Formats: sequence, C-alpha cells, structure tokens
Amino acid sequence: MKQLMGGARRRAVLVGGAVAVLVAAGAGTWATDTWPFDGKDTYCWGAWKEDSGPDFLSGDALDEDNAGRTSKETAPTPRRQRGRCTVALHSERADSSDGGKVVEETEITVTYGPAPKSAAERMEWIGGYLGDRSMPLPDGLPGATDGRQALLVLPEGCDTEDGRPTTVTLDSMARSVYSDNTMSGDAGLGGSQSVARLLVAAANRAMEKADCAPAKPLEADSPMPTLPEDDEDFFTRACRIRGLEFSEKASRDMEYQVGTVTRDLQSCSVRTDHGNGRYFDALMVAQPRLSALFDGATGSKAPARGWRGTGVFADDYKVVRADCAGRPLNVLMLAPSAHEKTPYFAAFANAVTRRVGCAPVAPGGSSR
Amino acid sequence: MNDSENEDRNENSSDNSSDNGSESSARVPLHERRRPWWHWQRVARSRPRLAVIMTVTGALLGALLGGAGVAWRAGVGPFADDRACWGALAQDDVAALFDGKRDIETSEVPITSDRIGSEGPSGECRLTSPRGRRITVQAHQLDTGFGGAGDRWADEFLSARLTPLGDGLLGMASDTRAWLAVPDGCIGRPSGVDVNSGPTVIDMETGWTVYDDEVDTEGRDALARAVVKLVNHYMAEEGCTSEIADPVRRMSGPPRALDEKKDAMCGVKGLRLPAAFEHEGRGATVVTRGGGPVRTCDRDVLFGHPELRLMTIEDPRLAMLYDRLSHDGAKDQVKVGEQDGYGFVRDDMGLFQAECQTGQVTFLVRAEDGRRPGDIRTILPRYVAAEADRIGCGPLRVTLPASG
Repeated sequence: MKQLMGGARRRAVLVGGAVAVLVAAGAGTWATDTWPFDGKDTYCWGAWKEDSGPDFLSGDALDEDNAGRTSKETAPTPRRQRGRCTVALHSERADSSDGGKVVEETEITVTYGPAPKSAAERMEWIGGYLGDRSMPLPDGLPGATDGRQALLVLPEGCDTEDGRPTTVTLDSMARSVYSDNTMSGDAGLGGSQSVARLLVAAANRAMEKADCAPAKPLEADSPMPTLPEDDEDFFTRACRIRGLEFSEKASRDMEYQVGTVTRDLQSCSVRTDHGNGRYFDALMVAQPRLSALFDGATGSKAPARGWRGTGVFADDYKVVRADCAGRPLNVLMLAPSAHEKTPYFAAFANAVTRRVGCAPVAPGGSSR
Repeated sequence: MNDSENEDRNENSSDNSSDNGSESSARVPLHERRRPWWHWQRVARSRPRLAVIMTVTGALLGALLGGAGVAWRAGVGPFADDRACWGALAQDDVAALFDGKRDIETSEVPITSDRIGSEGPSGECRLTSPRGRRITVQAHQLDTGFGGAGDRWADEFLSARLTPLGDGLLGMASDTRAWLAVPDGCIGRPSGVDVNSGPTVIDMETGWTVYDDEVDTEGRDALARAVVKLVNHYMAEEGCTSEIADPVRRMSGPPRALDEKKDAMCGVKGLRLPAAFEHEGRGATVVTRGGGPVRTCDRDVLFGHPELRLMTIEDPRLAMLYDRLSHDGAKDQVKVGEQDGYGFVRDDMGLFQAECQTGQVTFLVRAEDGRRPGDIRTILPRYVAAEADRIGCGPLRVTLPASG
C-alpha cells in the first residue's frame, strides 16, 4: 500500500476527496436552501425563524434607524402547563411633518395555557377569538383566526388535570406613536394563512416542551377559508337571520358582520355607532374541541322558562348549551346589558339550530 | 510540488520501459520526446504554463458545475422535466390521464390577465394523444353575466354526473369533466369589491361527452387529482403557500341512476313527479352524490342536455352565477317574505335566489323547452320548500304570480 501510494500522492487524494465532499455538500445545501450555520435568530421556543416569511420576522422590518427586534419567552414544561413568548419590534423615525419623532411598535404574543377560569372572562375570551371576522383554521384544526389574532385548542393529551382543554393563542399589536396621537397599524403577520402556520408551528414546539405532543405534528397546509363578505350597514334584518330585525331608524348608525357559517361554528356581530360600539356578538359553537371551552360555564339548569338544555343569563353574556344531533351545541351572546336582548338571542339560537337540523333551543321555535 | 515528483517517477518508469523516439529535437528533453504531443506533462512543460493550464481547467470545470447546477435548479437542459400545462403536471400525471400512455403532446397558452384585470386570469392547455383522445384545460373566471338557461358551462360542469371534491372545496369531477375554483384568499376572488364577481376556476374536459350515465371511478379520480394539481401549481406560481390535499379519498362514489319514486321526484321527498315527466322506457334520473356545494338532478339526458334539471347551489360564490338572471323575468316574479330572496317563473324555467344564513343559494328548475309550463309552476315552490329545509334555509314558501 505504502509503495503504491506515496505520502504526497495520498495527501493529494485526501485533499481532492475533501474538496469533492465539500463541493457536493455545498451544492446540496444550496439546492435545498438549508445552511447549518446561518446565524439566524429563532423565536417562540424555536418555532419561528428570522427571515422565514412574514414581514415581522424579516430583515426589512429592521431597516430603519434605531430599529430592533427583541423577544422574551417562557416555555411550558411537563409540570407547568403555561408558557408565553413575545416578539417585539421597536423603531423610531423623524416625523417629517412636525420634526418630532414617531415610534413604531409591534408586538406579537403567543400564549400557551388553559382558557380563563372565570366564566364571564372566558365567554369574552371565546367570543374574541371565534367571533366577528374570524374563520376556522384549515385541515380541521379546532380553532380560528382573523389574521390578527388566533386560537387553537390542543389535543386531549394536553388537557389540564381538571379536564380543561389547553389552548395556544396568538395576539398582535401594532401602533405608531406620534407626539400628539397614536395610530394602530399592521403587525406584518402576513394574513390568515400565515397566522395559521405561525400558530401551529408555535403549538407544536410548545407541546414538545410540555411533553404532550401528538405522534404526528399538527399541520395547516390547506388553504385557509376567507371571510366571504364585508360588514353591511344598510339593513333591517341582521345576518340574514329571521328575527334579528331592526327598524330602519334604529339601524341607521348600525352595521352587521356575518362571520363563519358552518355546522361547527357561526357568528353574527351587530355594531352600533358605525361599527365602533357593540350591540351584540352572537356565536354558535358545535365543534367538539371548541365546545369543550364552554365546559363548566353553562350552568346546570335551564336559564329561563321554556329553554332547552342548560345555560346562564348573566349581566354581560347569555350562554346556553343543548344537545344537537348527539353533540353539545353552545350558543353565546355577548352584549352590554343596557338593552333587553333576550328576544334576539332566542331568534339567533333557534335560527341556528334549525339551520343545522336540530330541535329549537329557545321557547317558541319550531323545528323543520 | 506534486507534479514535479510525479514527473520524476514517470521519468524513471519511462526510462525503463522504452527507448524508441530517438529522432531527436535537441530542445525537447528526452523523456518528453517519448510522449505524444498531447500528453499533459509535455503540454505543461514549465510552471507558469502549468499554472495557466490549471487556471483554465479550473474555470472550465467551475463553469460546467455552475451551469449544471443552475440547469438542475431551473429544470432545463438534461434536467428538464417535460412538465405539461404551465409546468403543473409531471409526465406521470399526464400518463395517468391517458391510461398510462406517454406519447401525449401538449400545447398551451399561458395564464395571464388582461391589462386591467376586468375579466380575470385566463389560459388554456391541451393534451393530445396520437390516438385522438384529447383533454382541454382552461383557466378562466366564471362570468356572472351568463344566463343559466342552456349555458354550456353549467350544463356540462354542474351535471349530475359530477361528484363534489368534498372538504368545502368548490369543485367537482366526473370521468369526462372536472373543475375546481381557486380558493379565495391568497389569489382568486378576494372579499370586498370583487365579491360580486364569479370564481376563477380551472376546468378540464375530455374531448367528447359521454352519454352513459355510469361514471368510471378510476377516470374520475385521475381527473380530480389532476385538477387539484393544476390549481395547487397555479397558487404556488402566484406565491401562495397553501396546498390542497388529494381529494380522492374523501369523495363519494359516482352517481348511479336513481330508482325514482312517484312521490319523490329526483329523490326529493314530497315532490310529486308530474305524469308528463315519467320515464317512458328510455332515459333515467341521475342525482349528484356527496354533500354540497351543488346538488343537481338531471332527467333524461340526451346529447349532454337534460330534458329537465332541478339544481340547488349552496356555495354563494357559485350561486353568484345566477344572481343577475334571477332579477330578470320581472313580469313573472315569485313572491316570498320581503328579505328571503327573489326569483321568477316562466314557461321553460323557474329560478329562486334565496338569502340564506350562509349567503345566496340558487334553486333552479329548468326544462329543455317551454312545452310544460304548468309542471314548472307546480314543481318550483315545492322544490324550493323541500330543498331549503334540507340545506337549513327553511322555511321558504314562494308563491307564484297568476299565470297568463
């Protein structure tokens, strides 16, 4: 061997081999767009990577002077089923109009943990994530997003010890602070599809940390459904639901927004003051995992005479749960208590149960 | 360094092995004279010369590698993947549409939009087999201005032979036709101003209409897969990140001829079958299988046209196609609750466009001709009432204007 291959020749072969391996590996990384040591930052337990898509993670977001991206995170653990991570962008620029300075602030927060314990708080929380302009997440994932915030209910394996489902939520805030006022802006999340992916990526990492990840990671690959219609400000019947009638005079400053309308989820929001005030937010939830969010908050008896199922009529909300084709269906109305809105709640509840083919929930309804 | 050492060794070996080549040129060293002129050691006589040669060789090798890499990534040259229809379909995908045959020719017009985008994107691709069979793929925005009556697209692509792709997709497939709307959102029909325009669809048709009521499941599945690939590729080209999964496993089986009861025309309970429409030996009733977005009942189909069609369109994006038409025929407008919808009845058709909780829903009763106006008038209100109940839009009671 030694005679066949002198020291120099062996060296040459080794060098050549090493070069060949490096070239091949380099070509491979280039072709697959992977690079082991790219020095990019990651956020939210390693779920999100700098420059990986949405604007708030891109380098362009830091182009301005004094711009910086910071993050904080607490990972859930098998013992402590709570976690939170925040990515914040902060930049300053001169205000060309008055010479002052404009501060741009963006903050994206992911929270891992159970839904709020207090019933009133939880109803508001559920309505916030599932109602108004939110649409269901793709691929049958139990959750919803409107492109600015999102909610995902995790699989049973992550339920708390007292049986409440664990959720991952995403919230965003973006604002420009001028010397004399503050304007809200776009957080650069990249739309509902992108939010669904960010949420699912964070959820997968968090479940790993909490040691409750399912065998197959969750995925959000299919197209995200989009809101089919905008708000409507000229109407006497809200959300095309019989019984949600308003006089022309009453509805002059009002508008309604139809959200999701599926067998699993339906929402109808009616606003006052040209969209700035709440008249009511009505929501139907029948998707089993989303429905589990209502567990323990719907009382143990009928909320009033003639209602089917169990429910609670509180000051700020009304909620009723009744069986519908073998699964619990929840109807919720969030409304300030200034006006008596039970007739609207009854109309909504019965119209929705009739639509999905169930017996009426409120008194006076008829089934199909 | 290596080179000089090699030279030494080579010198030794050549000294031992041969002694021809004595016909001398004084300047060329002895050992080089024994080598042919193209031998690398003779070419690279001196170090500067060697350096030049190494540089040129290196540059050439680099260019070749780089070029090959670029070609590989761009999928051209020896790495070309002969993909058909705007690059959406691989050779295997095309073969799957032609019983495994691989000699299919393709020609295409790229998908582009007119300058102001008023008509949406459009493009066409044609796959032709030398044996005569061909498939035409079209990308276009459905025109909401069209009339439902006798329109070719609705006739062919909403036929009862097609089965919905399922999972909330706005699309259907049979063994001769397939279509799929580009999902709203990334591209396609955005919300807002465009809400009243039709969806952008990619549809596929095989060259001829099959008059057979039976649908070949294998052929249907191949078309369904292909149309999803076409839409996925179109979305990817437009920079969308989502991908529609293979629809085949969640699709219902293809429709079969319905054993129609007299009090359940088209399988709609309570809808009595008028005597004039009873099958007389020939013909059959075919009803769409699977849940939404379209339920069509085609009766006595002849040369691709049903003698009578009852159709319900649940998806508001597609129901939009009949929005404009439903305002026509004002003189025979039907009456309903003020905010329940609008529609009309005439000799050959009845149309009701309902305002349901899910959005607009189309109920259509359409005969081939106007020979049975009475039956159309009888069927429409009952069909609307029954179907509205089925899809959760009831109660809907339409009343007809006095005939005349």
